[in-house]
Order: sequence, then structure tokens, then C-alpha cells
Amino acid sequence: MSGPNRSDIERKADVDQSLGGTLEVRSRDVLAESVARLDGRTLSRLTQARHAALAQLERPQRLWWPGFVPAGAAATVAALAIGLFVMRPDTGGLPLANQGLEALDAELLADVEALELAEADDDLEFYEWAAAEAGAGEMGS
Amino acid sequence: MTRRGQRRGRIRVTPLMTAFVTLTSVYSTPVFGRSRSDCLTTTSDSATKARALEKFLASVERKAFKIAQLGLRSEDDALDAVQEAMMKLVQSYSERPADEWKPLFYRILDNTVRDMQRRRTVRGRVMAFLPAWRGEDDDDEYDAIAAAPSHEATPARRLELDEAIDTLERAIETLPARQRQAFLLRNFEELDVAQTAAAMGCSEGSVKTHYFRALEALRARLGDVW
Repeated sequence: MSGPNRSDIERKADVDQSLGGTLEVRSRDVLAESVARLDGRTLSRLTQARHAALAQLERPQRLWWPGFVPAGAAATVAALAIGLFVMRPDTGGLPLANQGLEALDAELLADVEALELAEADDDLEFYEWAAAEAGAGEMGS
Repeated sequence: MTRRGQRRGRIRVTPLMTAFVTLTSVYSTPVFGRSRSDCLTTTSDSATKARALEKFLASVERKAFKIAQLGLRSEDDALDAVQEAMMKLVQSYSERPADEWKPLFYRILDNTVRDMQRRRTVRGRVMAFLPAWRGEDDDDEYDAIAAAPSHEATPARRLELDEAIDTLERAIETLPARQRQAFLLRNFEELDVAQTAAAMGCSEGSVKTHYFRALEALRARLGDVW
């Protein structure tokens, strides 16, 4: 604050802000003595109040997801889980040599006509003989 | 080679699995972008802040109680006001820089004291219509600290101090709220003008004016030597 429009009291208030006057020093000392003489009950209540306020800082923060788990580890676990699901054996884990027969069987099952033919056990020998006779006739002619 | 993926021994590697493996190698950072070391650093920062807050509150609690008591003229109300101010500071302003805590705390305390004075005024008007009511004191379990003897001087000195304290406190209580606040924060708590202005929510010029008027009023009541 400065300038001709300042009130007298503002100018006086600016004069001494050092807190060094007799009244100021004495009142400061007396109030300090008053604080030093606070009884045990009051000090105890103040300590409890302080602890209660600080307890707010100690409340645990619950995470719905443990943030320290790396995303890479989580994704790896997920990948392994999916991989295990994908690679689970349908027929109880046959050795490699038999996987061709599995594929053949699968193709057979998909081919209805071939399945009907395979089920015609009574006529199978006939068809084999017919195929052999037809092959011999071609070679002869 | 089958129609889907490639065989790797007994494991059929599908494109989906390949994609997952690729992603895990690229995004190797933890969830939410924070590493384990970051979490440990944050934990130690919180502990440091908690210690700093505790030290601060321990340094102001007694004077704050005295200031609140001079405004409310009741020890129990003053204790409640100080507790409320501490709770609010920690709850809402613990993240602010430490050099702002003192003016913030006294600002909160002043608001709390005013609220309690207003409630007391309303309660007094309501209770005037009701028969005399006495509340029970909730003390209590045995408290070793409370039971400890207080610091006491010799009887004569104690009497002298008692009178001086009593005289000064009665004089301060008669000051208008803003003058009392400016006087106690500047002279008793020894805040500088800027901090006092922040605590009172007014300009520095207003702080000086309130303080000067408080001094004049006290001098008139107490004299220069008392």
C-alpha cells in the first residue's frame, strides 16, 4: 500500500511490524507460559487428535489388480493357457506315427460315400475281385 | 504342413499363439506403466510425507489449541476444533508443499472456530426454550498421560503467572475476531505478514491494519506494563 490516499492508521500500521514492542514481547512470553502449563488431559487429547488425523494416510489402497504384476507375465500366462487349450489331444495323445491314420480316419468320416462303402463288408471282397479282374482284362487286351 | 499353422513336434503353433508371444515380447512393461522400483519409491515418499506431517502437527497443536480456546472460550470445544482442523488438513491438503501447511492449517482452524461459534449461537437460541439439560462427561478410561502431574512453578510465581495469563487472555478475548486472529498469528504463532494474510484470507495491508488496531486496543486495556 502506498500513495497519498492511505489512511493514517495504515501508515501507522506500517511503521513497526517487528513485534519487538514491550507489550508484544510480554504477551508472547505470557502466552508461551500458558501453553507450557497445559495439563496432561489436554496434551493427551491433542496427541490422540494428531494420531487420528495421520491415520487417514495409512488406510490401505485396495487394488482390484495387483499393479506390480508385469503385463508380459500376465500375457504369457494367458498365452500358455490358450495354447494348452488348443493343443489338448482329442484322442489321448497318439504318437506321431499314428497321426496320419487319424487324419485318414477323419477324412473317411467326412466322406459319406466312402463310409457307406466301408460298411458294406459283405460286398467288399466282391469289389476287390472285380477291380482285380478289370485290371487283368485291360492288361490282356 | 497342415492347413492351419505349422507343426512343431507335438505342439500345433497357431497364428493366435504367435501373436500373443509377439505382444508379450514387445509390451514388457508392467500394468499401468509402473515398474516395481516405481512402487517402492512411491511407498518411501509416502512414509516421508507422513513423518513430515506428524512433525508439523506436533509443532503447532499446542499453540493452535490456545488460539482456538481464546476464540471459543471452552477447552473441549477448542480440542474439537483442533482435531477437526488436523483431519481436514491431512485429508485435503497433505499433497500441498510443506511450507503452505501452516497458513492452510490456521485458515482451516479459523473457519472451524467460526462454524462452531455460529452453531453455538443457534444452539443457545434453541436451548433457551428447553429446560436445563446437562450432558454427561464421557471420560473415561484411565489415561496415564492425563493423570501425569502438570509442570508447575513455585506457588508465588504460579499465582503471578496465573494472574498475568488470566488478564491477557481476557483482554484478547474482547478483541474483534479479525484483530484477535491477526494478533495471535503474528505475535504468538510468529507467522510473517504474507503467511498471516494467507491464513486470514485477506491482503497484507489488512493484516497490518488489524494487527495495529489489536495492539492499540490491548495497550488501552492492559497498559504498557502489566
